[in-house]
Amino acid sequence: MFVALFLVVPAGSVMVEAFRANTGGLSLSNISEILNSSQPYLQDYISSLELSAVSAALAGVIGLTGTIALVGSPNRVFRRLVSSACGVLANTGGVPLAFAFIGTVGNTGIVTSLLSHLGFNPYDHGFTLYSASGLVIVYLYFLLPLTVLLMLPPVEALRREWREAAATLGADARTFWLKVGLPVLAPPVVATFMVLFMDAFAAYATAEVLTTGVVPLVPLAIGQLLQGNVVANEVHLGDALGFGMVIVVVVAGAFYVVVQRRTSRWLR
Amino acid sequence: MIRNRTFRYVTLTLLGLYVIIPMYASVQFSLQSGYHSKLTLNAYTQGLAQAGLGHSVVISLEVSFGAVAATLLLLVPTIIFVHLRLPGLRSVLEAVSLLPLGIPAIVTVVGTLGTYSRAPTWFIGSPLILALLYVTLALPYSYRAIDSGVRSIDLHTLVEAGRSMGAGWRMLFTRVLFPNIRSGILAAAFLTLALSLGEYTFASLILPSTPTFPVFLASVVTTSTYYAVALSVIALIVTWGLLVAISLIGSGRRGSAAAGDGADEELLSAVAAPHPTELVA
Repeated sequence: MFVALFLVVPAGSVMVEAFRANTGGLSLSNISEILNSSQPYLQDYISSLELSAVSAALAGVIGLTGTIALVGSPNRVFRRLVSSACGVLANTGGVPLAFAFIGTVGNTGIVTSLLSHLGFNPYDHGFTLYSASGLVIVYLYFLLPLTVLLMLPPVEALRREWREAAATLGADARTFWLKVGLPVLAPPVVATFMVLFMDAFAAYATAEVLTTGVVPLVPLAIGQLLQGNVVANEVHLGDALGFGMVIVVVVAGAFYVVVQRRTSRWLR
Repeated sequence: MIRNRTFRYVTLTLLGLYVIIPMYASVQFSLQSGYHSKLTLNAYTQGLAQAGLGHSVVISLEVSFGAVAATLLLLVPTIIFVHLRLPGLRSVLEAVSLLPLGIPAIVTVVGTLGTYSRAPTWFIGSPLILALLYVTLALPYSYRAIDSGVRSIDLHTLVEAGRSMGAGWRMLFTRVLFPNIRSGILAAAFLTLALSLGEYTFASLILPSTPTFPVFLASVVTTSTYYAVALSVIALIVTWGLLVAISLIGSGRRGSAAAGDGADEELLSAVAAPHPTELVA
């Protein structure tokens, strides 16, 4: 009942309002406004999707490597400690994290100063924290621990016996990973990618604080509409943009469910 | 074998550095107020002296504790009731509890503003609305924490035993059930608290006139980046403290005989991110 009031109704209202014209009637004008190439919104979606895909892919690859390394560690206490730490770090985000990175690789950050002292100022080479590539670096900070948490069970399930069996049959490490490891891990990897993607796609606070709207992203565009930084006759545009986000999330979520079904086969 | 170990050390060290460097750097940044200058606590004293800080912290605490209270009042009786009388509804409830993970916060903001735009200002224009929204935001985590607490006890037996000895429902709740699921309740409370204290999207867009701490923090940067970083360091330490407390509650439970070995793992995964499996299914 409570959830309905504060979640379903607002979300539902976005769906309906997305199709409401400024005059009050139902129409597709808001949707077509988004797709109109003279407006920035289509570009917002493209860069949002790109940013989330790149962040999720990087987090997935690096995180998986890290998880495999972690599972290989014989020290149980260390493994527990790392997974607890990941639980904490995966929830770190928002405004403080953005500022921590400004202090690190912002234009006067410690690491930036250190590098330019060594003769390589990343800001002279086209890098800036206040851009899409900067956002990827910050997002990785909470996406990587999340990847480790999500990938630990499937990687632990890669049984030692399989590895030994493969070795008995004459497979070296490379063959093992190519023929056994990666095929078994593929579904959970894809599922994890989807979760990371959705997480990055919905992120607002970090992006808003770091870039103050310079980078075109859908959540930021909605935020600006809400703050009234744009023409007033576009009341329902925010709803339409939100509607688009929900579609993206639903598609990603559906994909996740399909893949997850396959995963569970191997985890028993 | 050597190569294997090298791979392990190199990977884990690099990842460790990635985690540690930003934290170390931001501490140094806030202490130095510039590369190679002297160490000083200046940014901290100045940052803490910023006008409006105290007010925003009070608002944040009000909202967060409001959200915790509402969460517990709403969830504990509901979950116990559903376990006792309507076990069929459990999967529905669980699916509903995961919904907030799927809906981007910014979409909820748009919807909330639209839905309640004509609501009186004591509702939409006050911290009350934030507290209520945070309840839903934390629902995936708080629900799991309490639910696994309730599942780890023999609810039916406890209730029947209590009833047959003449305990009323009130007595049953306060004397029998609460003490038994205390760790689940505590975990839910801490999780809700940690989430509410750091939330920015809702707070900045729905209630810009009464800034909560994160909103205030974001505005400090216009005064001085150093102050903002210094305050962020404090905020991160507090948040981590809360989250570590949650995992300690988890491992404390593991020691007690009532909860099985799986309870801790479950709590950990609740802290992480529940899989939105049932979300679309």
